[in-house]
Amino acid sequence: MSAHTTSMRDALYEAPGPRTKLLTLIGTIVSLVLVCIGLALVIQQFRITGQLDAKYWAFYTNMNTWRFLFDGFLGTIKVAAMAAVLSLALGVVLMLGRTSGIKVLEIVCRVIIDFFRGVPSLLLIYFFYLAMPQYGVRLPPFWMITLPVALAASGVLAEVFRAGVNAVPKGQTEAALSIGLTPGKTMFKIVLPQALRIVVPSLISQLVVVVKDTTVAYVVSYPDLMQNARVLLTTHDAVVSVYLVVAIIYILVNFAINQLSIYMARRSGNPIISRTTENPT
Amino acid sequence: MAEQSRVIELRHVDKHYDKLHVLQDINLTVHKGEVVVLIGPSGSGKSTLCRTINRLETIDSGEILIEGEPLPQEGKALAQMRAEIGMVFQSFNLFAHKTILQNVTLGPIEVLKTPKDVAEREAMELLERVGVAEQAHKVPAQLSGGQQQRVAIARSLAMHPKAMLFDEPTSALDPEMINEVLEVMVELAQEGMTMVVVTHEMNFARRVSNRVVFMADGQIVEEGAPDEFFDRPKSQRAKDFLDSIRGH
Ligand SMILES: Nc1ncnc2c1ncn2[C@@H]1O[C@H](COP(=O)(O)OP(=O)(O)O)[C@@H](O)[C@H]1O
Ligand SMILES: [Mg+2]
Repeated sequence: MSAHTTSMRDALYEAPGPRTKLLTLIGTIVSLVLVCIGLALVIQQFRITGQLDAKYWAFYTNMNTWRFLFDGFLGTIKVAAMAAVLSLALGVVLMLGRTSGIKVLEIVCRVIIDFFRGVPSLLLIYFFYLAMPQYGVRLPPFWMITLPVALAASGVLAEVFRAGVNAVPKGQTEAALSIGLTPGKTMFKIVLPQALRIVVPSLISQLVVVVKDTTVAYVVSYPDLMQNARVLLTTHDAVVSVYLVVAIIYILVNFAINQLSIYMARRSGNPIISRTTENPT
Repeated sequence: MAEQSRVIELRHVDKHYDKLHVLQDINLTVHKGEVVVLIGPSGSGKSTLCRTINRLETIDSGEILIEGEPLPQEGKALAQMRAEIGMVFQSFNLFAHKTILQNVTLGPIEVLKTPKDVAEREAMELLERVGVAEQAHKVPAQLSGGQQQRVAIARSLAMHPKAMLFDEPTSALDPEMINEVLEVMVELAQEGMTMVVVTHEMNFARRVSNRVVFMADGQIVEEGAPDEFFDRPKSQRAKDFLDSIRGH
């Protein structure tokens, strides 16, 4: 993997000479100094406004605070995981319909895809939360947040998958057909697996979007991390300290998603990714 | 010859790409064990002709018969027929996400329902035969072009095809790799495989082909025994073409 990234860099930039090296060093020092000044200013401001006062942070010594945050964290993970799985499956189905060659089905899928891509997920949530109950359909809060987030993501994913499928060379399909695979098997055994590998980076970005989308769960009173954070900050009247901690947790979650994807790409023995590390003959 | 010895038969085949009349009243019969070389200028319709035989391209009118049966138009029957006709492409088209061994076993396992261990044993024998057995567990991108093309031939052979189509199998190869692929093809021809080969390799054509079919502008302009065609072409178009590929 590291050999791969180095070669990418080499391809994009020429090897640095002495002048470039000096400039890079100066740039590094200047930006470090700027970052430190920035941080100092922020902390100073927090101190002046009293945000660093013990009363805003004391409740973190209470295990219950963490347990409460952890419950929220679990809620977020449950919603995000279910929404991710649903949107991946629905995304594939919509993409297959969109490219099925059956005109009516193609148009229907296209409309669905464009609709879910175009409508903000919050609006979909309001639909499930406010509109549907008027017609007697009242889903549990978990589904009122999970379904809209999943639907919104599925539209994007369908297009991501379609781009991936289009990026697989036509010759792969022809070779598969010519050894007697049916068009369906050709899609599932040859084209989709390669398309998935091509779109992994976009899938990860979309998964991060899904996690972020779940933060409006408070609308339907589902106890996710954000909802529990709101409860905490009203009880303790500690906006900055709570949001700071929660932001860090979200960042860590999304960082973990990225790490996981890299790990999985390696584990799956992906020959396309790992081939650069082996000796070509 | 007897009816069932006609493996591939095209009768009055016509095809258009919009206004371009890419195949014009093509009649061609390939008998069992015959090697037919298709030759002609770029854009004359050789690939298209080749690809209509396993219906990677559809035709507008006319008939294509495989062992006397009309080419199925869709579904399982079409897939079944394609399985019986091997195809080797100019750009190899090995499955990029599968190992060499998996490339060869995929068809037998998925289509012929051969048990995995049997398929793997057969695949290794085939890879041995085309000289790339040591590469079995690599992925296509790790192989040279010549090696990839030999794997592609093994992949086709694994389906026990009745006939094989080759569309310029050596055109994408570096010169030093052309022979290793041609050798495999010569062996196949000598073992009696029925073959349609689009190629400009004259030595190959002279050595193993029974017939050379010369195409230009979507038509079969002339055909004949290889030595006769190369030494005494009848049509002016064939003469001009041969001059151009011999590099004067
Ligand atoms: N999919 C296609 N759509 C439109 N025109 C095509 C297509 N494929 C091939 N052609 C045209 O048909 C003609 C014959 O192509 P081809 O069969 O590939 O010739 P050859 O293999 O003899 O070089 C060419 O003029 C080519 O541009
Ligand atoms: Mg061609």
